[in-house]
Amino acid sequence: MRHRDPLTPDEARELDALERALAGERVAPDLRELEELVYDLRATAPQMSPGFAARLERDVADGFPDPAERPRLRRPRRWVLLPAAGVLAAALIALVVALGQSGSDTPVRGLADSAPAAKPAPAGNSAGGATAQSEAAPQRSATPAPAARDTLTAPAAVAAAPASRPSFAAQPPVAKSSAPRKVQRAAELVLETPEDKVAATSDDVIRTVDRFDGIVASSSIGSDDQAGGEGTFDLRIPTARLDEALAALSKLGHVAERHQSLEDITGSFTSAQDRLSDARAERRGLLRALGRATTKAQLDSLRARLRDVRSTISRLDGDLAALRRRADLSHVSLTVRGVKGSGGGATGSGHWSPGDAARDALRVLEVMAGVALVTLAIAVPLGLLGLAIALTARGLRRRGRERALDPA
Amino acid sequence: MADPLNTSTQSFDALYRDSARDLYAYVRTLLGDDASAEDVTALAFERAYRRRSSFDSGRGSQRGWLFGIARNAALDELRRRRRAAPLLGELPDETTAAPDEEAELAARRTTVRAALAALPPREREIVALKFHGGLSNAELAAVLGTSESNAGTRVHRAVTKLREACHAPS
Repeated sequence: MRHRDPLTPDEARELDALERALAGERVAPDLRELEELVYDLRATAPQMSPGFAARLERDVADGFPDPAERPRLRRPRRWVLLPAAGVLAAALIALVVALGQSGSDTPVRGLADSAPAAKPAPAGNSAGGATAQSEAAPQRSATPAPAARDTLTAPAAVAAAPASRPSFAAQPPVAKSSAPRKVQRAAELVLETPEDKVAATSDDVIRTVDRFDGIVASSSIGSDDQAGGEGTFDLRIPTARLDEALAALSKLGHVAERHQSLEDITGSFTSAQDRLSDARAERRGLLRALGRATTKAQLDSLRARLRDVRSTISRLDGDLAALRRRADLSHVSLTVRGVKGSGGGATGSGHWSPGDAARDALRVLEVMAGVALVTLAIAVPLGLLGLAIALTARGLRRRGRERALDPA
Repeated sequence: MADPLNTSTQSFDALYRDSARDLYAYVRTLLGDDASAEDVTALAFERAYRRRSSFDSGRGSQRGWLFGIARNAALDELRRRRRAAPLLGELPDETTAAPDEEAELAARRTTVRAALAALPPREREIVALKFHGGLSNAELAAVLGTSESNAGTRVHRAVTKLREACHAPS
């Protein structure tokens, strides 16, 4: 309806006459009819009743003090609260997302490293049954006293455990069934420590292994890699003290990874024992037969069989000893990894330095920026949607009002 | 931007005294009955009073702003009722005329009332805004949401229809 409708000169003249008549000015004689029409329209304008005029006068003078009693043709605009509610919801969602992201920065894949390491294998499990656990926990402990050592290559056995020990009787705490079971356990542990503490932490590893009567089968410590130095240890820890030893080792640095495995070798051990008993029984029988032999041929045959049986017994003894070692000593693969700037909120010495504060402040700013970004990402489309809805509603309301003037 | 309604209750009082009768006349013509016209007029003034801080003199005159509020309220009332407003009501005739002219004048004004009542609602509203409300074409354009020239055109067409209705044989 905004298009121009140009008036003809006569129409413009009549319109001008209407304006003049409304202003009380004289109009051209030929347009006197329009002047009279204007006067008549003004004269027939409805007038307020005196009662209503007085009531309205009073309301205006009092500033409309009691609006509750007046009829409301339009409800309050509750939709104006929609953008605020949308922004609030977006901020909450962003906060939840940011906190979730922040919480996932540290990998948590299992139980705390001080928790029991492995659960017992199911009772009756045959040889070869195995379970494995993977653990990592953000545990930190005091870094051991520094020891100046850049590179060290240890001999195969730095610390030797007692050669003979009644370790076969030691059952792993994870196998608590009524029948004695043979379980082979293994663990992998990755510790992170400040790069300048790798050597000192490695020394602590060796001391800890000694404390638990373990064996450092091999070790290698270097500081020439880009990660800031790394030490690797192939350890044998008495199975009976494995959990205790792992807990102690885990306190030497930040546990980045921890895996444990468990294999039930009871079946293999029992089988070897049975075969050994059979071989010994056979040897006893052969010895008795040898005493009763009368001919040279019998003697030669029995001696040959005795040699075979003795060889079998020797081999089975070796097998049993190997199985006992597998059950008595757990294999632990330990890596000490030097990390630049390791320590997060605190340095390795446990002090909270200005550098740590700056890093924390930067992290807080990053989180806040992330929250703001996510909030914007949600709020802007919501705001645009709300604006579109508001404009559409306004247009519809306007059209609805205009339709009220259409003939019914 | 100067905004007298923002700071002065006296300005609103002046607006009320300048516009109350014209506003009521317009609303009454549009709605067709006294009770609704009084409710809508009072509501329009109340809304204008409470929203007086939102008045922007850069977007039109105070009268145009007030009539816009009243128009919205009146159209909401019309929409709610869903019926066309009958024009002919108990219009008081307060005009005075000489005795010899009285009969002719009364007959002429009765004809004008009937012709106005016979107009379609949109034209009737234009006439009411222009001649009962006393709005200029610029104010009329602001209230109707159109251009000033289009407002003048619509006034001329409405008046032409009214003249034709007045001359039509009854």
